Amino acid sequence: MNFGFNEEQKSLGETVAALLADFPALTTPDPAEARDPAVWRALADLGLFALLVPEAHGGVGLTLVDVALAIEALGAGLAPPIAASTLIATDIIVREGTAQQQASLLPRIATGDLRIALAVMENGQGYDPGAVQTVMGGNGITGSKILVPDADVADLLLVVARVDGRVGLVLVAHDARGVSIRHHADIDPSSGLCEVTLDGAALMDGAVIGHAGSGDAVTRLMDAGAIVYAGMAMGMAGRMLDTAVDYAKTRVQFGQPIGAFQSIKHRCADMAVAVEAGRSAAYYAFWTAAENVPDRSRAASMAKAYCGEVARDVCNETVQIHGGMGFTWELGLHRFLRRTKVLEHGFGNHVWHYERIMVETLAVQSAVEAARAA
Amino acid sequence: MDFSYSPQEERFRAELRAWLADALPRGWGETVFEPEDEDERAMFRLEWERKLHSGGWSGINWPVEYGGRGATLVERAIFAEEMARVGAPEGLNIIGHNLAGPTILLFGTEEQKKYFLPRILSSEDVWCQGFSEPNAGSDLASVRTRAERRGDKFIVNGQKIWTSFAQYSQWCFALVRTDPDAPKHKGLSFLLIDMKSPGISIRPLRQISGECEFNETFFDDVEVPVENIVGDINDGWRIAMTTLAYERGPEDALGRQIRFSQELEKLIGTTAATRRGDAMLIDDPIVRQKLARAVTEVEVMRLNAVRTFSKYLNGDDRGPDASIIKLYWSHAAQNMYEAAMDILGPTAPIAAPDPLSTGGGRFQLSYLQSKAFTIYSGSSEIQRNIIGERMLGLPR
Repeated sequence: MNFGFNEEQKSLGETVAALLADFPALTTPDPAEARDPAVWRALADLGLFALLVPEAHGGVGLTLVDVALAIEALGAGLAPPIAASTLIATDIIVREGTAQQQASLLPRIATGDLRIALAVMENGQGYDPGAVQTVMGGNGITGSKILVPDADVADLLLVVARVDGRVGLVLVAHDARGVSIRHHADIDPSSGLCEVTLDGAALMDGAVIGHAGSGDAVTRLMDAGAIVYAGMAMGMAGRMLDTAVDYAKTRVQFGQPIGAFQSIKHRCADMAVAVEAGRSAAYYAFWTAAENVPDRSRAASMAKAYCGEVARDVCNETVQIHGGMGFTWELGLHRFLRRTKVLEHGFGNHVWHYERIMVETLAVQSAVEAARAA
Repeated sequence: MDFSYSPQEERFRAELRAWLADALPRGWGETVFEPEDEDERAMFRLEWERKLHSGGWSGINWPVEYGGRGATLVERAIFAEEMARVGAPEGLNIIGHNLAGPTILLFGTEEQKKYFLPRILSSEDVWCQGFSEPNAGSDLASVRTRAERRGDKFIVNGQKIWTSFAQYSQWCFALVRTDPDAPKHKGLSFLLIDMKSPGISIRPLRQISGECEFNETFFDDVEVPVENIVGDINDGWRIAMTTLAYERGPEDALGRQIRFSQELEKLIGTTAATRRGDAMLIDDPIVRQKLARAVTEVEVMRLNAVRTFSKYLNGDDRGPDASIIKLYWSHAAQNMYEAAMDILGPTAPIAAPDPLSTGGGRFQLSYLQSKAFTIYSGSSEIQRNIIGERMLGLPR
């Protein structure tokens, strides 16, 4: 047992962070100016999208644990959401795709030639993927998806839809007949959130992920999505903590740095505790997904619920510690506030995940009691 | 990163599991429980601790030469998990095991190690901690209890407070002032004091829970042989800080986490068995949200501890990270008991043995006890200063 990251894993996180720092547009105050298309190619050239692809398909064959710190860095650097979405989709295709899907998609993912957006939620359906109304039938796929990050720059859409009476995952090309994409007006224009309308959209060959009825794909998508979003949330929380601490060391009021006041110092300490606790939850969840252990869904929900709350609290506190400056457009802290709000509601918010934790916990507890009785 | 266990670690677990199946009283946790009476409970815990020792399960990660098992920190974590699984009793000599032992192991002379460590592991010697005083609480370095050197003895005079388990203890480790003229952090020494020495008297203090776990301890011309100093004279502050890092550290947190997870399991069981109107309590979505949050925080306590174990295993020093662990678990546990009282609803004030109490009326006492968590071993305010100044580098 070891809960530490090795040197390669740490260095990968540092490399991604350094790369993103070379694109100042990403953290510029105006979120409408923050979508730099060059970032994708830079990340692809770094090899980020090959990491999760098995060697047989031209990749490196790493696991979600190996890329956990790189994902944190994507969060901290406000990277384009399509990067995380593509990594999540890669995990699903590697775990759940047919041999044919893997052979046709994974090599192109590895080289950065396939960007995949995730179309999960629908208007009026809450967070539960089981409630989706989009349906795949003989005439293609029909329905409406909302809050799809970076749908407008994606090559493929991975769509949660009803397939033969069950909920499954369907791949749709962005330029297929019957697909229309509309930008939302939303709190974080840098996330490229779109509504995707599918009006009998044409299906590609082998559009349904895995075999019909082979179970885990949708749950795995929700878990992997929750975990990756939790990781990114912790990257943002860590960066905001550092920002708040730096400011508290240099901003002078009443003749001393404000960080010497306990009202500020103790807030920073509480944030540091929350960030460490959130990382414990997130890193464990990455491991459960990498090893696909039975605790995976519970761990994913704990990470998503808890880290979402931590990131929100830390962003709020950081704005407060910066005082009037924190509320200015120019300083740009609002970029993090905006992005955490998007992450918080993607793949289930804390309320949805706490309920899911309860279901999992009660199932485990009754299994233990049944075993004791037997 | 790897949370799975090696074959050797699994063997350790199997061996412990088999031993526990024999060692616990038949019907433990179902029909057989700890005694209600405080003193009887203390003796029950002492007996359990001695039983663990006779089975070779005491001080498992201490060196073999001092009576330990030489186990790894991972095995220490497995030990904690297995104790949790069976709901094993707590020990009585917690201060000996978690604080006195590690401090003597790090800073003691060879003679001190050979004499004290095996006696801690066997619980022949139960230990208490003489740090706080009426005027030295959060400002611990201002302790006034004096130790004057006379020949081959120190003569100790003063008063300690919040001395948990003093009434059951054979030994006390104490922070005392040996140089009243030096700056306050530089005139302190760390003494090991035999509680049978003439001149020591203790007076129980009643806590908000109604229990008398802690005491006032008075020292009136108490003679302590000079060889019972740990480290150098006037170097006691440094040693005490190490003791506190252990008190706040992952071993301690993991032991507590077990108890919290057991109580949480009982709380969930209670909500599943309690009717509220037409439905069961567990079906209330607000109750479920509160429970799930507690489940998450108690799990994070465990993960924090295991993650810190791994840092130590990978070569990191013990430092202010212990304050993070302590600040986290103390508040998370308080939140859990507060949630428990909320969840019980209208009958929350009714405690055992009232027949109308919910869930056996067990949560009221725990709720009251939990108020100490954010005060002892350094109040939350002190932990936040440590984290703010020593980890984050904020100015004093």
